[in-house]
Amino acid sequence: MTKPLLELKGIKKLYPVRKGLIIQKQIGTVRAVDGVSFRLMPGETLSVVGESGCGKSTTARLAMRLIEPSEGTIHYDGQDITHAPRAELRRLRREMQIIFQDPYASLNPRMTVEEIIAEPMVVHNVGDNASRRDRVRELLRLVDLAPYHASRYPHEFSGGQRQRIGIARALSVSPRLIVCDEPVSALDVSIQAQIINLLKDLQQEFGLTYLFISHGLAVVKHVSDRVAVMYLGQVVETADKATLYANPRHPYTQALLAAAPEPDPTRRSAGRTLGGDIPSPLNPPSGCRFHTRCPLAQPRCSAEIPALREIGAGHLAACHFAETVPDFTRFRDGYGIRPRLQARLDLYARKRDAVASAIQ
Amino acid sequence: MSKSATMPQADVAVAVAHPEDDARRPSVLLLLAREPSACFALVTVVAVLLAGLFAPWLAPGDPYGGDLANMLKPPDTTDLLGTDGQGRDMITRLLYGLRTTLFMGFTSVIFGCGIGGVIGFAAAYYTRVSGILMRLMDVLLSFPAILFGLAIAAIFGPGLTSVIIALSIASVPLMARVVRGAAIVVLQQDYVESARSLGMSDARLILKHLLPNSLSSIFVFVTLRFGQVILLGAALSFIGLGAQPPTAELGAMASEGRDFLFFAPHVSVLPSLLIFIVVLAFNVLGDALRDALDPKLHK
Repeated sequence: MTKPLLELKGIKKLYPVRKGLIIQKQIGTVRAVDGVSFRLMPGETLSVVGESGCGKSTTARLAMRLIEPSEGTIHYDGQDITHAPRAELRRLRREMQIIFQDPYASLNPRMTVEEIIAEPMVVHNVGDNASRRDRVRELLRLVDLAPYHASRYPHEFSGGQRQRIGIARALSVSPRLIVCDEPVSALDVSIQAQIINLLKDLQQEFGLTYLFISHGLAVVKHVSDRVAVMYLGQVVETADKATLYANPRHPYTQALLAAAPEPDPTRRSAGRTLGGDIPSPLNPPSGCRFHTRCPLAQPRCSAEIPALREIGAGHLAACHFAETVPDFTRFRDGYGIRPRLQARLDLYARKRDAVASAIQ
Repeated sequence: MSKSATMPQADVAVAVAHPEDDARRPSVLLLLAREPSACFALVTVVAVLLAGLFAPWLAPGDPYGGDLANMLKPPDTTDLLGTDGQGRDMITRLLYGLRTTLFMGFTSVIFGCGIGGVIGFAAAYYTRVSGILMRLMDVLLSFPAILFGLAIAAIFGPGLTSVIIALSIASVPLMARVVRGAAIVVLQQDYVESARSLGMSDARLILKHLLPNSLSSIFVFVTLRFGQVILLGAALSFIGLGAQPPTAELGAMASEGRDFLFFAPHVSVLPSLLIFIVVLAFNVLGDALRDALDPKLHK
């Protein structure tokens, strides 16, 4: 069995909330990330999915040690890097790169594209000026930009092009792991597909490992090998892609899937979406953290914390009723087409037939 | 053709109009030359700097040798701008005064804003020391510049050095605040986090990312402060704590002339006018430079 490239064990990030001007009293703790564990195998893509504020970006930053974890361990390539000193982190920084969500904020507006892409090489003393110059042009071609773009400034590019520059920067020092922090959520849908395809192509070409952060399951369906769904700082379900999409066992995963836009009107459900907001991580609900919004909540859910347990091969879910939760497809088909939609579709069909017969 | 190979082309097509590695980025000087007011300010600043620098060679007379028989002469053909209360040629005095005033302005802005800038960046970047540094700045901020002038003059004796020290100290907290504010905004940007994720040194991060992006507000402040410092220096000279006679300094000259304001106004008006021109030119140039240095505003 191959070693995981990255392994997080029981990672927690707790932010103390203090009050008082001089004598500060701790009045609470924001549990941003509360015991997250996962393994990332070399060459695979693990997607971490969840709504805003669930701690997915924090998890990604913890994995890269851009933020110090409060508890838990991080292993990179079999080596414990939880407390790695600065010098060693520097070496690791070369192997882990990050692509940011907002392509408008993630490129320094005062630097040319050439300087931006070459910067990781400069910081890590890779090559000399001439070889960096060549490498920048090679990278630009690789991300479907042109060499003459090198002398321009970021503001001269569109969002999609900027994201390509961000990707070229991440690739410049040949990393093994790339954290993609919602790399497409700030882009147009048409550009999203291009960037996702680019990321996939690059992964194949260079054997990259991706930790892919996203707030919707629809986006990651194409890129992921495995998916971990997070809710309020915890992983609630994780499985390989096929299993998760076909047979989600946690009600939250099902709700996320139901919330994805469905282009086919006949398959749209009657708008069964979750009500309310994500509860405050300052004071998470008792028992199952999802019980306040779960459509299937039982008394047991508010009393007992469900463990993340294996319910199938490589399929983990944190729900007391994971086995008995209604099957997702039935759960959704139960609503069928709303009567008014059906009426409209019938109307269209009649009109279409009428036009067709008139032509004949 | 495969899907992924064809799709990106729409994205690239926008830029195909410039197929060469472009050398179309104009120099800062060229950008300045496009703006008439910036052009004017640049010419004025250069002229003023040269005049101050080469005053000993340009001046027609001796700045300190008085000629009481010829005092307070209005501008005429022998003394183009007249003479002052000691009968010294005004052109000579103005050139030397400009030299002293510019020297005072530059040194106090460089020291004050240099130290203030370092403190401001440190306070923004190292949050641990932010509180204590900024409280210290608040303490400094609570004293008016004139009071520093008085205190320093009491310690070192009145003179140009005391004025420079006082104005430097008075500039430190203002600069620190401006810089800290600008730097905190920049620090929240993703590209700073991206820079951090590369594992670069703090020095590189501050110099390559933090400084260039906080520059625009700093630039405006420094040029504004330069004008203020010249005026404050003139005020300190006016109350007798600055440059001591017979040193020529524009502020001191303006104050010396006040006794003859009604019958020989040129003695006061000319140095004041020169202060006005210098301060205005530096401010306009500062604004123009800020715009020219911002790649986003290039056309």
